[in-house]
Amino acid sequence: MRTIKDRYAIVGVGESERSRKSGTTPLHLALDAANAAIKDAGLKATDIDGFMNYNEGDSCTSHQLATYLGVRPKYVKDIQGGGASTEMLIADAVALIEAGQLNTVLIYRSMNGSSGTRVGRGYDPDMLQGALAGGSFVIPYGSASPSQWFGMYATRHMHETGITKEHLGHVCLSFYEHAQRNPKAFLHGKPLTMENYLATPDISSPFNIHDSCLELDEGNAIIVTSAEKAEDCTSKPVYIMGMAARQCHPHAHYWNDIDHVASDYVAKELYENAGVTPDDIDVASIYDCFSWVVMRQLEAYGFAKRGEVGEFVAEGNLKIGGKLPTNTAGGMLSEGYTHGMNNAIEIVRQLRHDYDGTARQVEDCKIGICTGWAGPDIAGAMILRN
Amino acid sequence: MTQSTTAYQKPIPLKDIDNAPYWDAADQHQLALQKCDDCNAYSQPPGPTCAKCGSENVSWEQFGDDITATVYSYVVSYRPFLPGFQDELPTIIALAQLDKVPEVKIMGNILNCQEKDLEIGMPIQMTWVDITEDRALPQWIPATN
Repeated sequence: MRTIKDRYAIVGVGESERSRKSGTTPLHLALDAANAAIKDAGLKATDIDGFMNYNEGDSCTSHQLATYLGVRPKYVKDIQGGGASTEMLIADAVALIEAGQLNTVLIYRSMNGSSGTRVGRGYDPDMLQGALAGGSFVIPYGSASPSQWFGMYATRHMHETGITKEHLGHVCLSFYEHAQRNPKAFLHGKPLTMENYLATPDISSPFNIHDSCLELDEGNAIIVTSAEKAEDCTSKPVYIMGMAARQCHPHAHYWNDIDHVASDYVAKELYENAGVTPDDIDVASIYDCFSWVVMRQLEAYGFAKRGEVGEFVAEGNLKIGGKLPTNTAGGMLSEGYTHGMNNAIEIVRQLRHDYDGTARQVEDCKIGICTGWAGPDIAGAMILRN
Repeated sequence: MTQSTTAYQKPIPLKDIDNAPYWDAADQHQLALQKCDDCNAYSQPPGPTCAKCGSENVSWEQFGDDITATVYSYVVSYRPFLPGFQDELPTIIALAQLDKVPEVKIMGNILNCQEKDLEIGMPIQMTWVDITEDRALPQWIPATN
């Protein structure tokens, strides 16, 4: 089988307004995001013959979006998904194009994540027991929030590796600092100091509100096509060097074994597919539903050794100007939250050098990594280049 | 354990075809675990087949009511995310590593424990709280000796 390396590209990215209360529907947000991405690519809506989205029963369908773009596509696909779905759906899109089924695919995530259904809240407990694998062993003990689920991993991992609360704070401070350079970041104008961070009480240990991603109303879209078709676009193509995904635990939500995460397995395959090593990565988007999740992935993807990740972030290496500028738009902790897609959009813009001449641009960046985390048990990631 | 005087507000474990033996044992203040007869792995939570090898040859092993463990990991929750927890904050949720079967970790709340005394590795003991007339919930308390 031929490798897909450098033969597919992301040619358009776009987002809707982000807010606490959109006053509109996910369909409207998806239309705004899709139109922005189509314009960014210099395409017509009818150039797109595949539409895909991931959701948690909180969005519009791909069919609806295509309909109101005036498109009758060949293929629509809606999956139940979350934090690794952007990367996984991009892989699906590449596969369908490679198979000759489609030419150009638009992938979106659109949600009223603040004014509509909020993750981990307001669900019927008995429904949750049935809906979550092993739910009856989790829900009766009050554990219904991802902060509690991932906190269990974090407590153990921090105990084993010497990561402190202050180290988590450095992750937050780095991303909040990036948000101050991004006028569209939700927490633009709201910088964070270590003193304030440490004085903020926990919601679920070891996480306080700053360690936790935002909950917002927002739509994002990404357009994928072949390297040949990318030539017809007005945007600068960002090529996909490699992708990998993996599921690794027997149960989602009841994690008996918290000593490994799916990212540990994805990393090796990802670097092999892309033909690069962690040293080659100039800029990163690391899934950041919680600060600790970034720390664990820095270890998994080989950016710092186990036991040295705390020091790595404390040295300022995640900041623009550091060794691994990460989540340079502010990430999900301080820019916006669309289950990872906003981080994917940012890595594309960095690699296109959209910010050249401003303090937001990571100078000379050529290769970037984007990681997804749909929980400790599912990871997807991709390496891109300009 | 004492019976709650007001109606129990928290979610009550739902029994299904796969997990009923665990909760039936719990109602009798006993621990039972599902085990694979082919690869000998314990399945927690239990399922229709072995979650490790897929074998249909699974059976239940009884462990009685003297269940000791250590805290493998924990979170302290200061906000309620489910009904019934609002009056008992903060809530300690822990993964307990069983002394007899260290590969099995059972989630539960640690009762009668101050946050400042909580640490990874601390010895704990399973207890059962009668939550309704016919249901009991396995929980953990700090070991006394």
